[in-house]
Amino acid sequence: MRTLALILLACGAEARVHTVIAQVTANVEAGISDVLYDGFLASGAASISPTIRWEHPGGRGFISARATYLQFQSGRHSLDGSANGSWFTPLTRHWRGELGAGAGASDYANIASFSHGQIDARLHVMDADHGGWFGATTGRSSFGGDPRPVTVVASGFWLLRTDKTMFISLDRSFIGDTAYTDVRSSGRWMMPRMVLEGIVGARIWSRGGGRGVFGEGSATLTIGRQAALVVSAGRYPTDAISGSIAGRYVTVAVRLGTITVRRPAPPVFPANVHASGAHGSVIATDTRLEVQIRRDDVRLTLYAPGATTVEISGDFTDWHPVPLSRNPGKGDAWGATFRIPSGVHRINVRRDGGPWMAPGGTTRSADDYDGEVGVFVLP
Amino acid sequence: MILTALLLATQVAAQDPRLERLDPETRSAVAAVVDSAHGVGLPVEPIIQRALEGTTKGAAGPRIVAAVRGLAADLGTARSALGTSASTPELEAAVAALRAGATPQILAHLSDIRRPPLTMALSVLADLVASGVPADSAAAAVLALAPKARDADLVEFRRAVERDIALGAPPGTATSIRVNAGAAPGYTTSSDPNTAEHSSSLRPRRP
Repeated sequence: MRTLALILLACGAEARVHTVIAQVTANVEAGISDVLYDGFLASGAASISPTIRWEHPGGRGFISARATYLQFQSGRHSLDGSANGSWFTPLTRHWRGELGAGAGASDYANIASFSHGQIDARLHVMDADHGGWFGATTGRSSFGGDPRPVTVVASGFWLLRTDKTMFISLDRSFIGDTAYTDVRSSGRWMMPRMVLEGIVGARIWSRGGGRGVFGEGSATLTIGRQAALVVSAGRYPTDAISGSIAGRYVTVAVRLGTITVRRPAPPVFPANVHASGAHGSVIATDTRLEVQIRRDDVRLTLYAPGATTVEISGDFTDWHPVPLSRNPGKGDAWGATFRIPSGVHRINVRRDGGPWMAPGGTTRSADDYDGEVGVFVLP
Repeated sequence: MILTALLLATQVAAQDPRLERLDPETRSAVAAVVDSAHGVGLPVEPIIQRALEGTTKGAAGPRIVAAVRGLAADLGTARSALGTSASTPELEAAVAALRAGATPQILAHLSDIRRPPLTMALSVLADLVASGVPADSAAAAVLALAPKARDADLVEFRRAVERDIALGAPPGTATSIRVNAGAAPGYTTSSDPNTAEHSSSLRPRRP
């Protein structure tokens, strides 16, 4: 979560927007888990986790806080709270610096308690679809008694491919006389209503921090504008800084509040045509419009998988329904050619005699008639 | 001559055969709106198209009349903000921006700082809001870019913002970051290399 914000914000530069408003998001997760901590018996647990996050409107920093209450099958409970934040320097060419701080505390049934505090410095470098960072962390971590010094050096690399993101990171941690190195590779695949995420990693060169491989996966499915179902499972290693012990788990949870699942990037259009992706947050689309400007006319191609008939109407047809012809050799593609002047245009599509809808690949807008219309601009 | 112009103006709607698709009562009311708009120099084609859209969608007559009246009013507001030299596409794009949440003051400011045509800038503004960017943030972003950015830059900016949003960035943050980066493709967002916030947040961690 934290590094997501780090890289996201690190990619920005000096704020030049003066009237933007701050972004505050919050959600609550409630879930049930089956967990097996290393050295303990398996147990069921119920959890509730509120999270709140503030982001500087100019992309210069963020503050995030999270708490988790775990009620175990045994009747015991665990309480965990943490907060962290970062501030970023202006972007200089491909480089950007970051200063961060974090603190947290946790307690399990008055038996074990941890607390930690740390400050971080990172240097980010980024390009169009890839980037990396190098950073160092120093702080203190306390397990009941005297605090132990914490030092972490880390580096990583990330790669973007439209709706997929991949990462590789390597970090070496020193907590008192404990030391270990973690190598991780993770990925995220965003689909229209679901996000799949996974990580595999290994702890190596360890002195007192355990060894072995670990991996986790999760699926986040949107079930409404402010709700998502999240299923997660895997094994994670001991975190000697924040003081959590290694375990295996399966969790099913409902997240209410700000949902981070969003639609994937819009389809690619011809470079000189302006039309945005569909971002209506609740209405799925199964059609996609492509606009191709030619010398004397405009070719509209509509992808409608599984359709048997496809019609369009718009201001360029005087809102007369016009049936499209299936493109030879492209079963899902339907098309027609029109003379459309430059400017703002409105369009609807109807497949198999159904309702008129805004096609994907256009900007959805309310249409004054309790429906929606797609808007695109021809230069 | 004035009389001739007036006669021509009053016949705009009556001469447009497309309005015959409306029932007589609705046609009369829509024609009045069209004539009124023409009389004050507003473009009538968008109004006619809005009425035709209503007929295709099976809207009731009063609903169509309300729609065209609302559009005419918004076109008037847009022209007041952009000036009498604004083109029809600019006015249509300005109406979309107004309905997305931009204020007339924002449109006027944009008109002051950017050379026409403003169609693309206004459309990008409306698109950003449709993508979930708060109207204030979207307006600030477009105003920040407007003085120097080409239309193609604005389109690229919008695409970049939408891609960032798709990757999980809050819309307002994605917008400001892209503005800060000068809309250059190459300063992009990413996600958590230590993995997925969701999976890690669902760990039943305990000390």
